[in-house]
Amino acid sequence: PVLPQGWSAEKDFKSIGQLSPATQRNIEPVGPHFLAHERRKRHQRTFSEDDRI
Amino acid sequence: MSSQEEGELSSPEITAIGISFGNSNSSIAYTSGEGKAEVIANEEGDRQIPSVLSYIEGEEYHGTQAKSQLVRNSKNTVAYFRDFLGRDFDSIDPTPCHASAHPQKHESTVAFSIQDQESDAQNIVTVSEITTRHIRRLASSASDFLGKKVNAAVITVPTNVTEEQRVALSEAAKKAGVEVLQMILEPTAAVLAYDARPEAKIKDKIIVVADLGGTRSDIAIVASRGGIYSILSTSHDYETAAGVQLDQVLIDHFAKEFIKKNKTDPRKNERSMAKLKLEAEATKKALSLGGNASCSVESLANGIDFSSTINRTRYELLAGKVFGAFTRLIEEAVRKADLDILDVDEVILSGGTSHTPKISQNLQRLFPPTTRILSPSTLPTAIDPSSLSARGAAIQASLVQEFEKDDIEQSTHPMVTVTPHLRNAIGVMVVSEDVKKGLFSALVEKETAVPCRRTGVFAVPRDGGDVIVKICEGLREIKVSKKEKAKINGKPASDDSELDSDDEEDEEAEEIREKVWKVGTVLAEAGVKGVKKGGKVEVRIKVEADLGVQVEVREAGGKGGVRGTLEKARVVENGSA
Repeated sequence: PVLPQGWSAEKDFKSIGQLSPATQRNIEPVGPHFLAHERRKRHQRTFSEDDRI
Repeated sequence: MSSQEEGELSSPEITAIGISFGNSNSSIAYTSGEGKAEVIANEEGDRQIPSVLSYIEGEEYHGTQAKSQLVRNSKNTVAYFRDFLGRDFDSIDPTPCHASAHPQKHESTVAFSIQDQESDAQNIVTVSEITTRHIRRLASSASDFLGKKVNAAVITVPTNVTEEQRVALSEAAKKAGVEVLQMILEPTAAVLAYDARPEAKIKDKIIVVADLGGTRSDIAIVASRGGIYSILSTSHDYETAAGVQLDQVLIDHFAKEFIKKNKTDPRKNERSMAKLKLEAEATKKALSLGGNASCSVESLANGIDFSSTINRTRYELLAGKVFGAFTRLIEEAVRKADLDILDVDEVILSGGTSHTPKISQNLQRLFPPTTRILSPSTLPTAIDPSSLSARGAAIQASLVQEFEKDDIEQSTHPMVTVTPHLRNAIGVMVVSEDVKKGLFSALVEKETAVPCRRTGVFAVPRDGGDVIVKICEGLREIKVSKKEKAKINGKPASDDSELDSDDEEDEEAEEIREKVWKVGTVLAEAGVKGVKKGGKVEVRIKVEADLGVQVEVREAGGKGGVRGTLEKARVVENGSA
């Protein structure tokens, strides 16, 4: 939609709500994407750090 | 994939295969040099190796050879033992073993009394020892094929496997000289077998894995998000919907025919019944491939031969009730996951019974046309359902075989695998024809495990200019409407917040059920100024492991953009499938 008249926010970003509580579930320790996830978690890397490697 | 960095190479002579170990059949698979999973045939040329062992005068028979001993040597033939492993006698259902060696209580475990030596003595052989012998034969077939000693494996197990069963299986395999690197669940193995194909695209989707076996059927609802799988619900059936029930339909049919001609019921005699059962199963398999099949048994009862044919239509009519039970089982599993059949993107049919064309056809009718039914009769490129588990296990084996065992154990520990999953979808309100209103478009689906990131490009009003991008949570609702009122083009009469739909379905001509998005909490707003005419906006959402959210909005192809973060959300316990 078009920006309403008079809308303003700090750095043009307005944080309003927050996510609904998340659910704890088990992910299946299978497949290349899990291994990548597990590696990030273990080395406490973020996605972009991981991409660079 | 991550082998080099992950683990120091352990002893180089590890050769790992994938084993699918079932009550009725087992199979073995390996991953070729090019990373393709291949199923290994044993010396008899079988890829589906019956999980049966039989002994005659001290000699051990395995697979198909052992299975045919069910007629003449049933007391010394052990079959359907997988589910007994790691269980105490009181908790098992011995029904499937009625026509072979009966399970009996032995200390804290289950055993069989068989003549497995040359002498006439009956020996008590535990189910664990039987499993060891079975795995030893499987590993030796694989070793012969590969020309290398197989000493490790990834084995598939059902979703309701207990810790005791895992331990028992691991120990039994170890005694057979096979180190179990990892046990993976049968449904995830099936999903992996499909996702590992080079042509597969990793997408966010809800998958129903229906593993239709010989003595049991297991359904799992899997959320696949960025190639990471979470099981949302599982269902099991041992009584109404599995291969043996279909065999029984044919047994009864042919038995009646035999009675009409010969006045004696072959089901009343053990050996006649065993013969008929083997032949009925063969007939069933033939009916999955062709429109007609014959059933003939030499000297079925009272020395009289039996020969008959049946066509598929007739069989489908007779087995209609059992087929209906499969459909219901799957429907219930979807409901149990709090989902609607409209939410299902794919149905993977796995297990031997999945070859039955009618089951896939029934599912095609149950699910909307947008749902892909992956089975040989509905999709020419489908993988053989009998081999899915073994292939998945082989792929996993190739991924982990260079890791240290401790590494695998640590990384599959619940500390690693229990992860928050988003309860609602996160998406963006984008423009509709009507500039004032927005349409919700999901960017991150619900049940996505965090951390995750997704990027999407969205249209803005045609004239460009300054636009506002709203990031919201979206709730999927099922809208039921009458046919004449239904407009697929997203302007339902009732509520402004209910907009657009992904698919529609006309199950019963007068009623249309469709998926609609209801906009939930607005999370953030971002203003993007001076967007070009006909421009688009790129939105990137990153949810961190601690549920902090980072949002980046910029004009597609442009620089800079707007960034912001949201407050962290809470995690609630429960919800694990």
